[in-house]
Amino acid sequence: MDQRTRDKIHYLILKTHSLTGLIPVGAFLVLHFSINSLRTVGVWPYQISIDIINNLPFLMWIEVGFIIIPILFHSLVGFYIYFSGKPNPFRYNYPHNWMYTLQRLSGVVVFAFLIYHLATTVVPKVLYGNTQFEAAPYLIHVMNQEFKSWDGRIIYAIGIMAATFHFSSGLWGFCISWGILIGRRAQTNAGYIFALFGLVLTIMGLATVLEFSLHPVGVEATQPG
Amino acid sequence: MNKKIVKLKIKRQDKPDAQTYWQEFTIPYKERLNVIACLQDIQRNPTTQSGESVNPVTWDCNCLEEVCGSCTMLINGKVRQACTALIDSLEQPVLLEPMSKFPVVRDLQVDRSRMFENLKKVKAWVEIDGTHDIGEGPIMSDKVRAQRYALSECMSCGCCLEACPQFSLTNNFMGAATFSQVRLFNLHPSGSMLKEERLDAVMGEGGITDCGNAQVCVEVCPKSIPLTESIADIGRQTTLQTLKNIFVK
Repeated sequence: MDQRTRDKIHYLILKTHSLTGLIPVGAFLVLHFSINSLRTVGVWPYQISIDIINNLPFLMWIEVGFIIIPILFHSLVGFYIYFSGKPNPFRYNYPHNWMYTLQRLSGVVVFAFLIYHLATTVVPKVLYGNTQFEAAPYLIHVMNQEFKSWDGRIIYAIGIMAATFHFSSGLWGFCISWGILIGRRAQTNAGYIFALFGLVLTIMGLATVLEFSLHPVGVEATQPG
Repeated sequence: MNKKIVKLKIKRQDKPDAQTYWQEFTIPYKERLNVIACLQDIQRNPTTQSGESVNPVTWDCNCLEEVCGSCTMLINGKVRQACTALIDSLEQPVLLEPMSKFPVVRDLQVDRSRMFENLKKVKAWVEIDGTHDIGEGPIMSDKVRAQRYALSECMSCGCCLEACPQFSLTNNFMGAATFSQVRLFNLHPSGSMLKEERLDAVMGEGGITDCGNAQVCVEVCPKSIPLTESIADIGRQTTLQTLKNIFVK
């Protein structure tokens, strides 16, 4: 491959990596956290939302096309980026340099967490055929089990915080690399807004963990009709 | 601290790719010494602290007023110009090392031609005449003039690249200094005639997408050039160019 083609591919891949972090991966993260936080108002609203999702037409295609493939692409390119840089926050101790370092570390943490998260939820759900209305009782049962022990609570708390940090900090990075935030003041102000946004997401996530831990409730499958 | 003497610890390297080693030097203290004056003192009497006679230390310097950038080196672990590094404000022993992201020529002297090569790649100049006289350029507003002045202060010292976690000896990342020059020349009414070619040069391996937003560049820039604004602006220009390439051309 000649250098010019390589350059074009390189540019497009990195630009797409940046975009997929926002759409669809980031958008999915917000949706996922919002729906899961319904658990904090009660198990019934939570169950209906799971029912709706698990009865969506072409669910498998949506999950593969809009969630799995974009996340895999984002992670793969992410690891390339991870190994292309050499963090130096101890030598050059500035806030943004720490953010740069944490952005890379949190990406790796989220990736490891996702493997665990998928292996304990979606994979067995599909494998054991707990689809449509059977999905909610199965998934709620899994989560009740997860949050019985401190191991599960800590794993989820770390995964949630790594994901919300990576997303809100990545949103800021996206806005700069795509040239939306240019001025120094604009970058600072938007930074505060994204930090607040990340904090809200974190609270939503941790509140869900807390609710599951405090009130584990099993449910029966919804009877349609 | 003993004010009578100045202790320096210098990382030495006899030739490119040779083994590095440290040597300690002690020189008499004088008021308002800078690192260059210390190196000149060592040059006059190249004897280490232990009394061993050695080759004088090699370094680059020129203007001695932080305008040329040639005396850039790592002083106590951080990149800066040796001419404005005053002994009175430095912890001793003063550690002197060559920049780590450029090939060492000898001792504290490095080869920064990569920066010049990058400036050539992005055509960091204003084309004045071709095969014919292209006449007078358009008028530049004073606002743009002021904006460009700040960017034009870049002296290619390489501080931003040395401190950048994405810039290394082995990769081909262009770095903040180059992107800022693309902005400088794209802002020029006549210079903007080469805008697309410049953007094209930074849209590839080692280009603008390889910036990781650590923003150390702007922190270490001795000229306080708004490098992160330049990077974001080139981000915008290349994004728009991509859209143009896909949907307009």
